Amino acid sequence: MKAISCQELSWKYSGRKRFAVENVNLDIEENTFVSIVGPNEHGKTTLVSCIKGLIPANYHGIWYGKVEIFGEDNRNITGQKMASEVGYVFADPESQFTSMTVEEELVFGLENIGLPFQVVHDRLEWVSEITLIKELWDKSPYEISGGQKQRVAIASVLAMKPRIMILDEPTSMLDPIGKDSIFDIMTNVKNETKMTIIVVEHNIEQIAPLSDQILLMYEGQIAKMAPPEEFFNNSDFLVDHGILPPQATAFVDRLKQDGFYDGVLPVDYEGGVKATRQVLQRHTA
Amino acid sequence: MMAAQIAENTHQWRYRLDTSLRVSQRMRRTLLGTVPVHSPLYKLHPLTRFVTLLFLGVLPMFIDWPEINIMILVAIFIYLSWSRVDLSGLKIYLPLTITVAIFMFAISIGFPGYKPDYVGFPFMGLQLFFQPLFFTLASYWRLIAMLFGTIQYFSTNRERDTLVAIRTLHVPFVISYFFSLSLRAAGMFMEDMRIIREAERARGLDETALTLADRAKLYAMYLIPLFTLAIRRTDEITNALVARGYTLSGKLENGNQRSDYILSKYPFRLLDRALILGMLCTFVLVVILRVGFGYWSMDTDPLRIYLLAMLLGGGQ
Repeated sequence: MKAISCQELSWKYSGRKRFAVENVNLDIEENTFVSIVGPNEHGKTTLVSCIKGLIPANYHGIWYGKVEIFGEDNRNITGQKMASEVGYVFADPESQFTSMTVEEELVFGLENIGLPFQVVHDRLEWVSEITLIKELWDKSPYEISGGQKQRVAIASVLAMKPRIMILDEPTSMLDPIGKDSIFDIMTNVKNETKMTIIVVEHNIEQIAPLSDQILLMYEGQIAKMAPPEEFFNNSDFLVDHGILPPQATAFVDRLKQDGFYDGVLPVDYEGGVKATRQVLQRHTA
Repeated sequence: MMAAQIAENTHQWRYRLDTSLRVSQRMRRTLLGTVPVHSPLYKLHPLTRFVTLLFLGVLPMFIDWPEINIMILVAIFIYLSWSRVDLSGLKIYLPLTITVAIFMFAISIGFPGYKPDYVGFPFMGLQLFFQPLFFTLASYWRLIAMLFGTIQYFSTNRERDTLVAIRTLHVPFVISYFFSLSLRAAGMFMEDMRIIREAERARGLDETALTLADRAKLYAMYLIPLFTLAIRRTDEITNALVARGYTLSGKLENGNQRSDYILSKYPFRLLDRALILGMLCTFVLVVILRVGFGYWSMDTDPLRIYLLAMLLGGGQ
């Protein structure tokens, strides 16, 4: 089943000359992990805001086309239903905090959709376990570290168990350890839930192995959308569009161009080692 | 392989979290200080603690007798001590109490006014008058009792406690949430202000070299980035609220009220009911006796009567 369907979607912010998103046609199947990559100011956040319905609800501008969430036009979906269907994690975790303790922050969305106390309690335990934040319940979300803040932000959305979860550059404000923790949480979520996950991310090295599909946004349009193994098979095209492939992919691609390798391009370090071993074995044989 | 790496990373974070939290969990940060996590104070419901603000913070307004207000002050310190608040932390308010005393008594001595019944007496070459001085003394202790009645509340409670108290009173959700967001906005405003100032200092601004007028202009100029940031933050918070299904009315689509899980975590015991009832009854009684029957007015204060008698006796 299609989780998301964008048809001829275009959006221009009021006062801007060009469309931030233009003629986007996109289908995302249920229970897939889609990464959206691309240079800054090329429409990634605008696209996910359109999917979530923040655009056009909270912004002025010109809208064409249609976005469907599980077959329903997202402009006809009420706020509370949208909140329980589509979760959204913002790039700056502080910008989404609305409460004075982590525990309140985690239950805020659950209270808004009117879940019974026992369900709220169970969700609170579950999400705290999966994101390792139970020890932070009593703290203010403003007093914890950057990585912890982002984990709380993700947990507060995850707790609502939306069918679609959008994460807009969730690691952009974190140090390397903080980034690793978020990627591991995304791995856990992918493995343990059946959510459709959309992540806007610049860190291609780490997001590619998680992705079922990678989508490249360029000048407000979808320049390329493919599974990771196919996505990186034209390095020149990607570099021209502001994307650097993972180092393992670039290395094996170079071997491929030089005629040493003819298999599928790897997207992570382990795949790179495996491909290189194959090349060495063939060469020594 | 990846699963093993995740497990290893998870173990490392847990260790870091445990280490940092063992240190920080001993004390709970309040609006004006810290309180031990296991303070007996937390056996009381937040609403009970909120009523102490009304009781100890407002009650002195209806009592002129300084000796009673000093007793209220002592009661406040006993309450804080029972709550295991570090009383030495209260010394930061000492300059304030001294400054207020200096201002009040300086005005009372320098500008006492005049009434025919004023009883004057010389003191270190100055001509002092008893009535305005005693009025200042009474007002001062009333003010200090009210001040510490308020400080005790904010030293022992967090924003969350206040919100729970307000929600327990069934104040409409929009009002309690507005209050919560205001607290949040105040903190962010101060943080933004600090960042702007640090950015200016980093670019060579030396505030100590500025005249008072230039400083005033500088602070006025801060308003521009602060307002811009405030507008941006408003935008962000709106998106965050909408994204998690917030409605202004606090009602669900089916017309039911949103659930209030946090409130369910604070049991409202018989002790709380008794304490609140006791404080409210005492408060009402004091107000009626003071306003209706003139109890604890200045003229009836035994201390004042005694001192005046001493002064008049000594004069004779």
